[in-house]
Amino acid sequence: MPSPPDPLSTTLAALSDPTRRAILARLATGQATVTELAAPFSMSMPAVSRHLKVLEHAGLITRGRAAQWRPCRITAAPLKDVADWVAHYRRFWTESFDRLDDYLREVQKKGKKHGHGKHHDK
Amino acid sequence: MATGNIMTNKEHELVLTRVFDAPRELLFKAWTDPKLVAIWWGPHQFTNPVCELDAQPGGAIRIHMRGPDGTVYPMTGVYQEVVEPERIVFTSAALDERGHPMFEVLTTVTFAEQAGKTKQILRARVIKSTAQAAPYLKGMEAGWTQSLERLSESLAKA
Repeated sequence: MPSPPDPLSTTLAALSDPTRRAILARLATGQATVTELAAPFSMSMPAVSRHLKVLEHAGLITRGRAAQWRPCRITAAPLKDVADWVAHYRRFWTESFDRLDDYLREVQKKGKKHGHGKHHDK
Repeated sequence: MATGNIMTNKEHELVLTRVFDAPRELLFKAWTDPKLVAIWWGPHQFTNPVCELDAQPGGAIRIHMRGPDGTVYPMTGVYQEVVEPERIVFTSAALDERGHPMFEVLTTVTFAEQAGKTKQILRARVIKSTAQAAPYLKGMEAGWTQSLERLSESLAKA
């Protein structure tokens, strides 16, 4: 059995399109039909449906089966993975860069005489 | 938002931009000299008891980051490009307790001179991940609800 596609990459790829992000932002406020989702965009219904298929494949939305109008709902779990990853990276790099900034200030202050001085010359 | 310098672009990368008040040669050295990287790599209160960098194409990266609670987060990577003093590209993988990679990220860092300072742009892109990665990432950052809210905000603005 082939290994399943990498879920985080699938989610990120689905999120890579501004229209799909706008659709998700709309769905974050509540479920909607394809017609309602298409309204803000100058886009055909089939085009919107294609975006919805990508989002559905990535597990970012689910679509009702019972009703003819098949309302779309946002699903939190994959977004959570992305949010976790984004938050992890934000924290990791932002805090690392704070420390890098501190280091650069310190080394330039101490190393004025010789350009990039070592730690101990004062 | 002043600190909102992280986002996904159309290649689903995360992009972080930062301007440092330092010449880019110094910044490049701070990124490639293992003794210097060990000083700043990781969040506040983290240390790097192991920091080995062979900053040349194909060269290895091995960093063991230790959190304030003593947990060690091993990381390995490989340099793809090293162009002094303007560009570093590397892949990196976080390892589980058995030393197997959980997910892999391609990171590109560029340094551009900007009025005596250096504008650094970091782009990170997941190239491979596994199911085990999610709880690992979760453990690194509590409070995903807040993260999701932030993401939703950024999605709404996109």
